[in-house]
Amino acid sequence: MKEVMLDCFGEACPVPLVKAQNKIKELEIGDVLIVQIDHSCAMKNVPEWARKDGYNVEVEEVDDGEWEVIIEKTK
Amino acid sequence: MAREKVVEHYDVVIIGGGPAGLSAAIYTGRARLKTLLLEKSLIGGLATYTNEIANYPGFPTAPKGEEITNLMKEQAKIMGVNFKLTAVSSVDLKGEEKIVETFRNKYIAKAVIIATGGRSRTTGAENEEKFLFDKGISFCATCDAAANTGKHVVVIGSGDAAIEEGMFLTKFADKVTVSVMHDYPKMDCNEIAKEAVFSNPKMEFVWNSVVTRFEGNDHLETVVLKNVKNGEEIPLVSDSCFEFIGYLPNSELFEDQLTLTRQKYITVNEKKETELEGVFAIGDVTDKYLKQIATAVGDGAIAGTVAERYIAEKEFFDTKIMQSEKTGMIYVYNAIDAPSREFLGTIESIEKSQNGNVAVSRIDTYKSNGLALMLKVEQVPAIVIVKEGKISEKIYALDEVAIKNAL
Repeated sequence: MKEVMLDCFGEACPVPLVKAQNKIKELEIGDVLIVQIDHSCAMKNVPEWARKDGYNVEVEEVDDGEWEVIIEKTK
Repeated sequence: MAREKVVEHYDVVIIGGGPAGLSAAIYTGRARLKTLLLEKSLIGGLATYTNEIANYPGFPTAPKGEEITNLMKEQAKIMGVNFKLTAVSSVDLKGEEKIVETFRNKYIAKAVIIATGGRSRTTGAENEEKFLFDKGISFCATCDAAANTGKHVVVIGSGDAAIEEGMFLTKFADKVTVSVMHDYPKMDCNEIAKEAVFSNPKMEFVWNSVVTRFEGNDHLETVVLKNVKNGEEIPLVSDSCFEFIGYLPNSELFEDQLTLTRQKYITVNEKKETELEGVFAIGDVTDKYLKQIATAVGDGAIAGTVAERYIAEKEFFDTKIMQSEKTGMIYVYNAIDAPSREFLGTIESIEKSQNGNVAVSRIDTYKSNGLALMLKVEQVPAIVIVKEGKISEKIYALDEVAIKNAL
């Protein structure tokens, strides 16, 4: 089980979402993907996609306008 | 194998970030309690689905729900509240330490405030999702009735809520058509409502019907009902449909912790206390009369304040009253009772006569009865004697000799 950081700072929608979707395919079950974003629209669509796919999701506001979307690949 | 969860301690954990939870957070944050608010999706909760909130006092411009709840969030942040946007996976609220777990963390709290809200049941008809909330399908006449002045509206359901809200709608709309699943004249509402509704000239009924489809472009235009007996479709031209077919409180997490009502609501008293000490519930997840932002924030204020007092009393109880250093004497009285008040002098003289060997506490139940409940006294006034950190005797008489003998 590993944690993988995905730096999407400075990237606008839908780039963070697409990157996250591609990255999670490379991961094993139980791994955690941390998507770093500063575009508020990705703050909505990335967690929404991950929840819909049934993964565990947590969003953390690390700084003003900067978030980490933490996704655990559960299946 | 499960990942090791990070353990964090808080005074208060609030589950749910709608108006009720945010209001509670503002109160506990302001009381300098270390507060965590957990929200599974959007801060603001159901209120964020509303485009115009016209009846929340203090906002005459009818802003978007999100605008109001963002301000609440900002206010809670100023009070030092921590936010985590993640779902709660399990809770254990029965012990003194309340445990709330998410997939990455285990939070241990002194008090927990449940503000998980609920959702209206939907029909599941075709295209329903396209028109929910501000696109034509509503679940709240109090919220949206005024926008239907002079119009034709459709109501789905025949329970108390459907019929009472439908009657309310006739004050604004020209015509209210009610879709009822049953044969004429069976309805699920109470008899009084039924009688009133039949004599209301603005109400019409489509019996044996359910919604099969919603039609329209950007906004709802037609509600298509279907006769459940012969399958015939009945299109009703209306840009506004109210569904009152039940409400589902988000209480699944607490099913094995708290007794829920038949409709799955959490029961609370006036102070928003549940049957478990240190666990409070507020907002739409509780069995309440009116589900509005205005009532939710009121609930939050109460729970925040009561939680603060509970934590303070609990700490006082554990460290001062149940101390094991000395023999303890606790005088529980009600200050509005004159003899009890006068006996304070006797308590003082007993304290002096013991030369500092007895730790004396005075608890006025007129201000708060929380400590009296923790001591489990059966009546007031009472004198409770504590030896080696345990209650050794309870005296229910203002009797100086008996007290001295017990010490």
